[in-house]
Amino acid sequence: MSEQDKQQQAHTLAGAPKMGWLCSYTPLEILLAAGFQPVRITGHTGAVQKADGLMHPNMCQFVRACLDAAVDGAYSTFEGAVFVNSCDAMRRLADAWRKYTDAKFVHMIDLPKGAGDADAAYLRNEFDKLRRALESAFGIDVTDPVIKQAVKLYNTSRSLYHEMNALRTDAPPRVSGREAWNMAGLFNNTPPAVWNQALKALLEQKRADAPPSVLARPRVILAGSPAHNPEFAGFVEDCGLDVVFEDMCTGSRFFDVSVGNAADPLLDLARGYLEKPPCARMMSMDKRAEAMIDRARAMGARGVVHHALKFCDTVLYDAPELKRRLEAAGLRTLFLEGDGTLGSMGQLKTRIQAFAEVLGGDL
Amino acid sequence: MSMLEKYFADLEAALKHKLDEKTTARRRFIYEIARIGGRMFDREWASAWTTVFVPFEILYAMGVAGNFIEFVGAMLAGNGLSRPFFEKAEAEGFSTDSCSYHRTIIGAARQGMFPAPDLLIGSSFPCDGGVKALLRVGEICNKPVFLLHTPYEQTPESLDYLVMQYRAMIAHITEQTGRTLDPDKLRRAVHNNNVAREHIVRALDLCKNAPSPARSDDWKNFIIYVLLGGDDAAVDVARIFHEEFRHKHETGVPGLPGEKYRLLWIQNRIQFKNNLIRKLEEDYRANVVIDELNYIYWEPMDESADPLEALARRQLAHPLIGPVERRLDLLKKMAVEFGCHGAVNPSHWGCRQSGGARNMFKETLAQAGVPVIHLDVDCVDERNFSEGQLLTRLEAFMEML
Repeated sequence: MSEQDKQQQAHTLAGAPKMGWLCSYTPLEILLAAGFQPVRITGHTGAVQKADGLMHPNMCQFVRACLDAAVDGAYSTFEGAVFVNSCDAMRRLADAWRKYTDAKFVHMIDLPKGAGDADAAYLRNEFDKLRRALESAFGIDVTDPVIKQAVKLYNTSRSLYHEMNALRTDAPPRVSGREAWNMAGLFNNTPPAVWNQALKALLEQKRADAPPSVLARPRVILAGSPAHNPEFAGFVEDCGLDVVFEDMCTGSRFFDVSVGNAADPLLDLARGYLEKPPCARMMSMDKRAEAMIDRARAMGARGVVHHALKFCDTVLYDAPELKRRLEAAGLRTLFLEGDGTLGSMGQLKTRIQAFAEVLGGDL
Repeated sequence: MSMLEKYFADLEAALKHKLDEKTTARRRFIYEIARIGGRMFDREWASAWTTVFVPFEILYAMGVAGNFIEFVGAMLAGNGLSRPFFEKAEAEGFSTDSCSYHRTIIGAARQGMFPAPDLLIGSSFPCDGGVKALLRVGEICNKPVFLLHTPYEQTPESLDYLVMQYRAMIAHITEQTGRTLDPDKLRRAVHNNNVAREHIVRALDLCKNAPSPARSDDWKNFIIYVLLGGDDAAVDVARIFHEEFRHKHETGVPGLPGEKYRLLWIQNRIQFKNNLIRKLEEDYRANVVIDELNYIYWEPMDESADPLEALARRQLAHPLIGPVERRLDLLKKMAVEFGCHGAVNPSHWGCRQSGGARNMFKETLAQAGVPVIHLDVDCVDERNFSEGQLLTRLEAFMEML
């Protein structure tokens, strides 16, 4: 386990009852309203050991690292874990979690692929099943008014995140990719009220600071599989690029939700989560590519670094077509495949640097 | 005439000739599959590319000839035709770690081997790769893909949700092709399915006897039976299987003479030509007496109910949906019911939905005293097939038994 992994774990373990989550479609509002601090399960960034004896090594590194950490007791102080039917590998991870860990509470949310009224109604029911499962397992009440309070708190988080991204439209960006990545990472294991304060402080500081005096560099957005390596965005920037947005579930995905405030908070949540810009899992290439192109243009990006974890089917099957569409829209695209570890990223350094040179030549 | 059309036409003609000589269940089965495959090119029918588990009965009742892409992937591999399609897909950036059933289809579509279908219809289970491959084929054909999200659990809400999606699918088919649902034809398809189901259950029951009246390849790839979709031929095929095995059982004719070991086959067979089954049968008298995917997991459908609801109930009962325990329970049940001594799991390289559970297969079947051998293999892409290594492992496994 790296020093950063240890720090993250130490930070995570201090405080209130924790409930683990993995997918950005998890309604954190319900977990918070149930009295838990939602904490993202991210596994580790080292070599997978025990998990390779429990599932086929052709599962993605993220899933295997999460299981590896879990069977090693990394989440033994958690009250449980909430999964989403995100992909084949995630379903099997939930199965393995029940089988090979001592988790007291394991819940699966089924996530539709459409975003129509019937899909929203179905997802609303899934969210209600989560609520009832929490109530039953922990002897608590999770009421609508408390969920609405949680919605309000997380909507504040989202607004602040968007404010941060607005500072990244400057050239050079007033908030670096490394800083934004770190904030998104901090969100994973920090109570939202605390995180909101931390981000407000960062924003105040950035607004007060003079604009960065460094030269602007080619601007890119990051996209693709979950990347829990805390150095990921910084590593790309060290290769000569300005990272101005992260279209990833370890970046913007949780924050790109707009949750309403109508009578039924669960339906608001269902609609909000289904209508956000889709990830590869949602099987909508048109919407996914369009959202990415729009975002790249809004952020002044000229390229996309599209990263896939090895064996991540949902991203890998999209990669060629997505590249074609992005390039047709004038966005140069670098596709990277790796296992998410720093060793893997190191091997990719030359390619990222070459990509930076190509984009620099376009300026 | 496209390559695929020619393939089905040739297969149908060849099997017709063989059937004229002698009718066997296997021949009749493949003949009907070829005949139904040929409908893809018959303008009396609309054509649909699908993933494996969509309600073919509904397509049939709307005059749509459905064909699932994994079947075509297997067929190309079985005929040694896959290589250029892999190379095409890989040259376009598709990962060699993806499922080769799907990669070959994407390459074949890129090469223009497929006729453009009228429709593309996919289901979210059993895997992400199937849906993604269908989406890519849809882009190549410039056609929309209708997706069914098969719910994770069996609840009243999930049943309603799936039925609602079936209705939307019917509307989509009508919009795309002008064809409407024939309710009588659908009811007949459900009825036929029940009759055929009963024959298959009885035929499989006969295979629980030792020796089994069937040998390893008699039921090979029987999963493609779903393509018959409630056609009258589905009943005929099931009845002939039942009668053939009943006759063999009653007359003491074993499927594999000298059957000594009985095996459960998990997931799919290896599709390209290889010697594994021959080696098992000839050297060890080991017979594959049940394939996991051939097992009848559903109860008879309620013919007095809304057919869409009956079909949705059957779909939701599938053991590959939901928590893996459903599948594990069924694997154990099969191993016990069929008196299996061991199980073979060809751990298909690109398959996440099974690969993630393979350790649990082993642990679960061990509880029933049934050892499992995992074969690390790609069931469709033979470029990395190392038959010698696999045979050595199989030999060690058989000697352990």
